[in-house]
Amino acid sequence: MEKLFMKGNEALAEGAIRAGCQLYFGYPITPSTEIIEYMAAHLSKRGGTFVQSESEVAAIYMVFGAAGSGQRVMTASSGLGISLMQEGLSYMAANELPAVLVDIMRTGPGLGGLGPTQGDYFQATKGGGHGDYHLIVLAPDSVQEMADLTATAFDLADGYRNPVMILADAVLGQMMEPVSFENIHVHTYEKPWATTGAKGRQRNLITSYNLQNETGEIKAIHLEHKYQAIQEQLQWAESYQTEDAEYLLVAYGTSARVCKGVVHALRATGVKVGLLRPIALWPFPTQVFQSYLDHVKGYLVVEMSAGQMIEDVRLAIQHQAPVSFYHRQGGMVPQQEEIVAQFNRVFLEGGHTS
Amino acid sequence: MATVTVKDFRNDVRPNWCPGCGDFSVQASIQRALASLGKQPHEVAVISGIGCSGRISGYINAYGFHGVHGRALPVAQGLKLANRDLTVIAAGGDGDGFAIGLNHFMHSVRRNMDVTYIVMDNHIYGLTKGQHSPTSAHGFTAKTTPTGNIENAVVPAQLALGAGIDFLAQGFSSDVNQLVSLIEQAIQHKGFSLVNVFSPCVTYNKVNTYDFFRENIVNLDNLDGYDSTSRVEAMKTVIETEGLCTGLIYRNDNRQDFEDQIPGYLTTPIAQQNLQLSPEIFAENLKEFA
Ligand SMILES: Cc1ncc(C[n+]2csc(CCOP(=O)(O)OP(=O)(O)O)c2C)c(N)n1
Ligand code: SF4
Repeated sequence: MEKLFMKGNEALAEGAIRAGCQLYFGYPITPSTEIIEYMAAHLSKRGGTFVQSESEVAAIYMVFGAAGSGQRVMTASSGLGISLMQEGLSYMAANELPAVLVDIMRTGPGLGGLGPTQGDYFQATKGGGHGDYHLIVLAPDSVQEMADLTATAFDLADGYRNPVMILADAVLGQMMEPVSFENIHVHTYEKPWATTGAKGRQRNLITSYNLQNETGEIKAIHLEHKYQAIQEQLQWAESYQTEDAEYLLVAYGTSARVCKGVVHALRATGVKVGLLRPIALWPFPTQVFQSYLDHVKGYLVVEMSAGQMIEDVRLAIQHQAPVSFYHRQGGMVPQQEEIVAQFNRVFLEGGHTS
Repeated sequence: MATVTVKDFRNDVRPNWCPGCGDFSVQASIQRALASLGKQPHEVAVISGIGCSGRISGYINAYGFHGVHGRALPVAQGLKLANRDLTVIAAGGDGDGFAIGLNHFMHSVRRNMDVTYIVMDNHIYGLTKGQHSPTSAHGFTAKTTPTGNIENAVVPAQLALGAGIDFLAQGFSSDVNQLVSLIEQAIQHKGFSLVNVFSPCVTYNKVNTYDFFRENIVNLDNLDGYDSTSRVEAMKTVIETEGLCTGLIYRNDNRQDFEDQIPGYLTTPIAQQNLQLSPEIFAENLKEFA
């Protein structure tokens, strides 16, 4: 299989183009800027087009317009830029418009810094904008997955008619690894709802305005049922050396990469430990946890935030075993030795506090 | 009180702008203008956006706010209303002011609060390493316009006149004496003022260089009989020079600023009012609920 050596952000952009994304709208922001620059350099040579908009607000509404036509469309930004897009995302979820958006997180709150972080988990998975809605959120942990999950994101977006977010950090965006695009193909979906011209059929109108509470409730129930179906069908996690595991690390993205090293280090000392890596962050892979509940003695969640995903882990395991936490913040990446030390302190030396 | 000098507006932070960046001159000009107007550092606030240019608030010894990309002007206006005695200077780049912040700019002009806005216009996004900006010319190549910009540039001076600005000037980083004088006048003008400064980015913009501006700028100071009180002449000049002119382009001192028209707005700044409630007034207020 032919492999190219690419930056995560570039692989993501190339993956999107190969999955049939012909339209891109965005505004530069570190550490996501390689994506817009890649689209600027490549889309027009491959039949697509792109606009550097005047702001993220404009970008998300350009995405909104293009998505309404049924075309595959993407935008990318970082933290604060994603914040500016929240109104548009809520509108897109309400109108059930498929699109892919990418958050290469930077530290916050506020202007923050450019270092790696996972501080946008809540914003990504719990809403972010107004109203009762969800984005599907996928979390890659390698350059290959930056490409693959982006391609999958377009299929999920079209299949469920919902915006899908790729949530990654600056390490994944900036680092280089070999990547193959051979498994990425364009899949096409019927889109009878799209505003493609009403010749010969009833016109399609994209709107999320409900003047009557009765119709508002019908619409809300429709969305609720859709999100329930997604939760049942999309339970997606990687189970790494978990078969005989007595303890589980839980981490996603760059934290999960570090945790794989932790698994090796601890297993070398005879500890039966594995890693559960959520790949879909929303819906959270709660069901995947079920099969571990009766024999896992303790969980260690590792995040680059003050503790966000840990809330979903606690809900998933329903307090059946202790859940401990290790984290670094502000652009710092947790190191393998630190996590090993924390694990030993909490589970092997009996110092658990949680 | 001892007289203020430029030194009073300096701090010990070393700018991390590239050597040769036009923004150094803008910083020095603001400091000189404030000193020559006799301002004290505690009487001044510099509110900046995000960009290389936005760092300027950290390099001037005054109150400062290193803001949010595109939002320097709303922040500046909020501050001005809370403390009308402060000299409020907003500053940032062309992307900050005329892309993401453009609607705030148009409404700030229209609202006409006593705020001075200084834009470091380098026709590029510096901080994010070289994408085209709204003032980049048609055909300009940058990282997001690899085959040339197909959008048209905005002409900030034209936008400002269109929105009804009462004080409009443009400067150039190479002409510090003119720039100092323009900033002084802008600060003295009661109402919203714009000083748009051609401030080259030596790292990412290889087209709009010092030489480019030197060759293309029309300096209105050298034009005999230029009438900066005529809005029509100002607009005509801006159109004829395609925005590439420096000097005082337009000034109208015959309109009240926003603050002076606010009903009941006191001359004592809100920040300095005594908001302590006397027992008598409290008792009086309570009667309403009796
Ligand atoms: C909401 C938001 N979007 C994007 C950015 C990234 N960003 C920082 S500065 C900048 C533009 C810089 O250009 P300009 O305003 O012209 O200032 P310069 O760096 O050239 O001085 C961008 C896009 C940001 N900080 N915040
Ligand atoms: S990149 Fe350009 S604008 Fe930024 S500091 Fe360097 S010369 Fe100045």
